[in-house]
Amino acid sequence: MIEVLNLTKNYGDRTAIDNLNFKIEKGDVVGLLGPNGAGKSTTMKIITGFMSPTSGVARIGGFDVFESPLEVKKKIGYLPETPPLYLDMTVEDYLRYVAELKLVPSAEIKKNIEKSLLKTQLLSVRKRVIRNLSKGFKQRVGIAQALVSNPEVLVLDEPTVGLDPKQVAEIRELIKELKGSHTIILSTHILSEVQATCNKVIIIHQGKIVAQDSIDQIEKMNQGFVTLNLKTRAAKNIKLILEKIEGVKSVSASDDLTYVIEMSDRADLTDDIAAEVLKSGAGLVELVRSKNQLEDVFLRLTYGQGVNQQENHQVTNEVLV
Amino acid sequence: MKMIWIIFKKEFLGFYKSPLFYLIAFLSTILLSITFSMGLQNFAMTISNSMYQMGVSSQQMNIHYSVFLQHLSFLNLMFMFFVPALAMRLIAEEKKTRTFDLLLTSPVESFQIVIGKFLALFSVVFSITLVACIYFVISRRMFEFNWGPTLVAAFGILLVGAVYCAVSLFASSLTENTMISFSLGIVFNISLWILGGLSEVFEGPISKPIFEQISLNQHLQGMIEGVLKTNGLIFFCSLIFLFCFLTERLVESARWRA
Ligand SMILES: Nc1ncnc2c1ncn2[C@@H]1O[C@H](COP(=O)(O)OP(=O)(O)O)[C@@H](O)[C@H]1O
Ligand SMILES: [Mg+2]
Repeated sequence: MIEVLNLTKNYGDRTAIDNLNFKIEKGDVVGLLGPNGAGKSTTMKIITGFMSPTSGVARIGGFDVFESPLEVKKKIGYLPETPPLYLDMTVEDYLRYVAELKLVPSAEIKKNIEKSLLKTQLLSVRKRVIRNLSKGFKQRVGIAQALVSNPEVLVLDEPTVGLDPKQVAEIRELIKELKGSHTIILSTHILSEVQATCNKVIIIHQGKIVAQDSIDQIEKMNQGFVTLNLKTRAAKNIKLILEKIEGVKSVSASDDLTYVIEMSDRADLTDDIAAEVLKSGAGLVELVRSKNQLEDVFLRLTYGQGVNQQENHQVTNEVLV
Repeated sequence: MKMIWIIFKKEFLGFYKSPLFYLIAFLSTILLSITFSMGLQNFAMTISNSMYQMGVSSQQMNIHYSVFLQHLSFLNLMFMFFVPALAMRLIAEEKKTRTFDLLLTSPVESFQIVIGKFLALFSVVFSITLVACIYFVISRRMFEFNWGPTLVAAFGILLVGAVYCAVSLFASSLTENTMISFSLGIVFNISLWILGGLSEVFEGPISKPIFEQISLNQHLQGMIEGVLKTNGLIFFCSLIFLFCFLTERLVESARWRA
């Protein structure tokens, strides 16, 4: 459905995205994940035909974004970073205007407006002037605007940024509901958002794709290894003792009381570690398995924490195969 | 065509939601009615004076010149300032509030955006000109005069108003800042007159006719005297086309910015 080939964009001599390649199938919900400034918005602006790339090709449903922009734009609903709202219009008038702009046949406009108002739970404010709505509602009007043409592809740039936790949860719920009826690409710098809503993830960092795969696959990248956080009662350096246990890959001590243990994923190993800690007389306060596999991968790939570049590179290659 | 209509409709209705429009409508009706009645009063006084003393020129005796034209040139002056004020929301403000992104990611061509917005702006100029013409209609009920020249002159002002629309729209597309857009529009409108005024300054055998040809004043002058000339019409239309075209180029270039 969405196809991106060797896409590059330079702002002056600054490279915002560098040779991106990815493919998104019909019906996928894909998270474009990366820290601020990674190039997520730039990628989306090019896909939606808002901006031209420096080089490379983007295709939507087989149409080249820059050769047949009108075809492509009819297929896309786009929520930019700043929702494009006419503050002096009412919600309903605004949606009607967007539907007309997107060339929705006039017989379907009314139906589409009702549908997008319903999905975004805006029925109660349909006659209100947009200026007077709260930020959460404005964001929903932005999403309703992207939905009103009932597009095949939805492009949502940081749809939950700046909202309070309840509103964030509502928007994520909405995205889950939209699954299936649209191909969705959304950008975010928040990992849990991808986990909550997407089935595929593309991690980009400094304009380059560092990993792309289904969420399950990416979580497996760390497979075979888990991280344990250990806290002891007495300050006793047990780093050496722990390292001797078979199956433990590395131990790093933040201070005399807390340790981070990387070890192979064997059930009985936790027992061994607990036993060793108790035997040493340090006393066990806390021994927790780090839950978020994806977070580990994300941090490794984007911030390279505790991982040398060589390994980082290998991981990337594995994923891309 | 449908797209132009959609954009026209949105902007046209949009004017009636903006306080600025009402301020301008209010100001222009008030100012027009004050100046018209003052002009008429002056005229009446000149006429009655001339009963006693001879030597008043025939131009001063003509209501077309001394009242109606004054009325219309005042209208022209108002357009110079009001049109940029209305134009600034059309593109500059859309860029500032990022709603322009919506237009650029919709299946709309740049020229449709520009023509739609131009027509909406022109419709306001048109309606204010119509309001100004009401004064002539009312005068007509009170005394007889020749319609023709006055209507042609009003048409001339309407054309100049259309030129202001194109120029102010162009100014609006140059910036994201509404105040800059407004000021640039006024500066451009005034420079149009200054450029024409240069023909008085230049005396050279080549430069003078050139400046005369590009002089708004020269072309309007004919119409003000009640004569419709084709080259005048062509001149105004090409100015309008030129600035709409430049605006279209700027809108289009927004997609290609570095
Ligand atoms: N209009 C612009 N001019 C110059 N540099 C830009 C512009 N927009 C974005 N950038 C730069 O391009 C990079 C990617 O930006 P962006 O795509 O907005 O990142 P993200 O959305 O992932 O936060 C950043 O380093 C940013 O500073
Ligand atoms: Mg961004």
